Amino acid sequence: MTTAALPTARDAATTTPPTTHGTAQGPAWKRRLVVTLFLAPTIIGIGVFTLLPIIASIGLAFFRWDIITNPEFAGLDNFADVAVDPTVRRSFLNTIAFVVVAVTLQIAVSLGLAVLVAQRMPSWLRTFFRSVFFFPLILSAASVSIVMRYLFNEDFGVVNWFLSLVGLPGVAWLTSGWSAAVVVLVYVWQQFGFTFLLFVGGLAAIPNDVYEASAIDGATGWRQFRTITLPLVSPTMLVACVMSVISALQIFDQPWVLTRGGPGDSTRTAVMVIYESAFRQLEFGRASAVGVVLMALIMGVTALQFRLSRRFVFYQ
Amino acid sequence: MTATALRTAPAPRATAPRTRRRALPTPSGATRVVILLVAAALTLGPVVWTISTSLRSPAESFTLPPQFIPTDPDFSPYAQVFQQVNMGLLTLNSALVTGVIAVGQMLTAALAGYAFARLEFRGRGLWFALVLATMMVPVQVTIVPIFMLIRGIGLSDTLLALILPAIPTAFGTFLMRQYFLGLPLELGEAASIDGAGVWRTFSSIYAPLALPGMAIVGILAFNFHWNEFFRPLIFSISEQNYTLPLGLVSLQGNLGTGSISVVLAGVVLSMIPALVVFVVGQRPLRAGLTAGVSK
Amino acid sequence: MPPLSAEITRRAALGTLGAAGLTGLGLAWPRLTGRDIPGRGEDVLTIAILGTSQDAAARQDLVAAFNEIHPDIPVRVQGIQGNDWGDFFSKILTMIAAGTPPDLVNVATEGTQLFASLMAEPLDDYVLRDAAELQEYFDDVHPTLLEAFMYEGSLFQLPTDFNAANMYYNVGALELAGLDRPADDWTHDDFVTTLRAMRSANAADFVPYFWTNRLFGGLVPWLYVNDTSFLAETKAGGGTWFWDRFYPGEQRSGGYRWLEPNADDPRVEESVEFLRELVADGLGTRPEEGGGGALVGLFASGRIGTTPAGGYWVQGLNEAGMAEDEFDVQFFPRWRTQRHQFGAAGYAIMSTSPRKDEAWEWIKFTASRDGMELAYPLPSTTPTRRSMVNEARYAGKGPRHWEVFYDTLDRFPTTGPIPAPPQQAAVETALIKNISAAVGGSASGVPRALANLQRDLTQALGRTA
Repeated sequence: MTTAALPTARDAATTTPPTTHGTAQGPAWKRRLVVTLFLAPTIIGIGVFTLLPIIASIGLAFFRWDIITNPEFAGLDNFADVAVDPTVRRSFLNTIAFVVVAVTLQIAVSLGLAVLVAQRMPSWLRTFFRSVFFFPLILSAASVSIVMRYLFNEDFGVVNWFLSLVGLPGVAWLTSGWSAAVVVLVYVWQQFGFTFLLFVGGLAAIPNDVYEASAIDGATGWRQFRTITLPLVSPTMLVACVMSVISALQIFDQPWVLTRGGPGDSTRTAVMVIYESAFRQLEFGRASAVGVVLMALIMGVTALQFRLSRRFVFYQ
Repeated sequence: MTATALRTAPAPRATAPRTRRRALPTPSGATRVVILLVAAALTLGPVVWTISTSLRSPAESFTLPPQFIPTDPDFSPYAQVFQQVNMGLLTLNSALVTGVIAVGQMLTAALAGYAFARLEFRGRGLWFALVLATMMVPVQVTIVPIFMLIRGIGLSDTLLALILPAIPTAFGTFLMRQYFLGLPLELGEAASIDGAGVWRTFSSIYAPLALPGMAIVGILAFNFHWNEFFRPLIFSISEQNYTLPLGLVSLQGNLGTGSISVVLAGVVLSMIPALVVFVVGQRPLRAGLTAGVSK
Repeated sequence: MPPLSAEITRRAALGTLGAAGLTGLGLAWPRLTGRDIPGRGEDVLTIAILGTSQDAAARQDLVAAFNEIHPDIPVRVQGIQGNDWGDFFSKILTMIAAGTPPDLVNVATEGTQLFASLMAEPLDDYVLRDAAELQEYFDDVHPTLLEAFMYEGSLFQLPTDFNAANMYYNVGALELAGLDRPADDWTHDDFVTTLRAMRSANAADFVPYFWTNRLFGGLVPWLYVNDTSFLAETKAGGGTWFWDRFYPGEQRSGGYRWLEPNADDPRVEESVEFLRELVADGLGTRPEEGGGGALVGLFASGRIGTTPAGGYWVQGLNEAGMAEDEFDVQFFPRWRTQRHQFGAAGYAIMSTSPRKDEAWEWIKFTASRDGMELAYPLPSTTPTRRSMVNEARYAGKGPRHWEVFYDTLDRFPTTGPIPAPPQQAAVETALIKNISAAVGGSASGVPRALANLQRDLTQALGRTA
């Protein structure tokens, strides 16, 4: 999971806080020094460990380099690989398909459960559900995947054992066309608690009288959900979508431990190609190119989501 | 994808009948609790299975049907974990890495967050936007240059290679800025009038008040880096520098392990600190995770 | 402002906390910088092996014995973990990338050409220099094993252990099926008959044939016995300097060459289809299920009938609780030929090493009989010295027919190494992903998967590693 929570568009736009301590004491140079000292660790750190590497990554993407011999200018070859090389192309298609399916499932499951938890029930029960759904978030994706690998094992896995109880044949979960589905399930199993929390917060913010008013109008159940809940929770939905899309685009741990990208390339993801190109095949230029394309993808999708949000998100 | 569902609310149709009849069947109260209970069982099931299977003898660990309640616990898998991997060292490494990152993030984010929230300087908006923009760039994209950088400063295959690049935090800075913005302005003004400088105002007035916010940053960092897999996989070459997730995956791969229960015992052991965080820090963790939307 | 006293107390508390933090950081500094790792950054001969730090520590006897002869060469054995050789090689590459390469690496056939082409030092001069001393080693080691470590006419490693892909079987499962030990020259049809008999005589969760989806133990043995391979195999010239000197009369080459893909050979398809049918008929498991601890555990718990493996399996099966008469081993079944596949390993000197002479001393020592006895006290692999593959080694552990291990080399002289060109990583990836797709799918999918394999291999071999 990722901590990369995003500020809302409005937060990002607020670059000037209302007031500051303009009256503070001391000569100007001293104040400047203090400001510099406050900011230096973060600004220098981000500059050295994020900005510079981004620039270097873009530069490296135009070279062929195995670290042992000298780098060789490769022009756009590495980028062409993303479009042409069947493995790289497949990994991007996998990643995009994964994002669409996993995020849709995650949002549906977490919103559904959040709505169910919001109903009237003893508070200890609500706390129980909230804690349970939150729990997988604190586990490491690697150890969750280790566990799931056993559960989904074809020969001695618990999942197939349950299937056999109801008379269904065992499925080769991790070694056939099903493996992508398992990766999605394992990912969503661990991640839905996050969007669930967001929705619990978003739903709690909807004033009760809106529901009461609509109940008087005769709206109940499904229609109430569609006409009241969904629009009013849509700002939360935007943030949930943006954050889970960014995190899903970076998927690596689960398929790495569960399937190593297989069978075939069916669960190979973009980040896996970055890792394999760089540290298994010593193709650092190609790894960088894949990284740069992934970065562009993340930024593009995020921008698109915020654009769409202007049309579909309902602000009270 | 889901955005199409988000059209703003049309007015409820006036002709809607005032009965309890619905266009689509929706679950009743009891059914809803049952659905929630099933979801909870699916969520907890793998965890319970992990714990109970880790308490089976290695020879029995492949045997079906699965056991969800350990009736006859066998602790030998735990002993074997300690024989096969240096659990103490793995835990120490994970604790050092996460601890230093968490404290480092709390301090640097508090300083920078305060500067962005409460200090005036030229280009503040620009700097802040720059910091925010880096939040979207995943670490995988920059991993190769960071690797070179680490090599350049001679920190290859050390824990510091994991720690240093993780301390500067855009998200933590954003969080702390929001936190400081939420604190009353008057306190600082009063201090200024009393003659306190910028540092004094920060250290004796605002920093103590911002401790809960710093705790959120720290717990988030802990949760993320305790479970981190990708960077250790690349940066930690010697086994002496492995962190827990890496050690566990290697426990699974080491030839001759031959037992699920030993691997799962390792998983359970690694879960303990996370469990402590879960019990102690669930509230701030939840607050932090949802902080992006709280406004 | 808070009262002065509170301010002071708080400051004191904060100060104490800060000091404690800094002290802690200071104490942890050696850990944070890796300086507490023994031998790190010192002028010692660093040897990377595939394994845990326990495995590295287990070689302490070997290091001690080496230091009795060479007290002036301090040695550090570094265990590098990996699920397989591919993982291990990528870690070594990462070490090179990180600027901390070892002096010596224990490399298996899978990586011999990768290392030879990029970063290993040829041993030719050293071997000729110390020829007299080494003659005894070569007299004891089968030339087939040496040929696998020749690359373009130069020798890069002295093999110390090897494993051929023989066929292990569960004695109990075979008896349940009412069968005797298969004949030495059993065919692949006999093999299928055996699997069917095992299938019907054993429980539902029993798998007659289990395989590992790696270069070793996976597809290649079935290609070799079908007189083909997924890469066209040719031989390099040269190497006569070596063969004439140490194995006079042997017609051997300057090393294997795998330059062209060969996945479109009809016999490759025939072998893959054979495996696919095994899976489809419920006689074999899908390839990815195999490997590592699960395989040993499943075999030892009697849930597997047969699996291809070498001498390295004996110790693991024993530790997992199998008695010496509960399992046995036979040659791989015959098809068009009975050519076996083997893998071997030995130490390679990194060309970046400033301690090459010392490294050579280590190689000579590990090839010596004393060195090999210390390195392989247990049957967890097969020593390359014929004189060491003996009754005593397998006494009380099994298998009954342990002679199979070395006889493989004598009986089937064409037996060859795992096909691993310098582009090993890309080749292995291409092979695994396409073969697993082919074997797990329907018959119609096999030609397409092999066409993809051919395409991927062409691309992989066209790369400069």
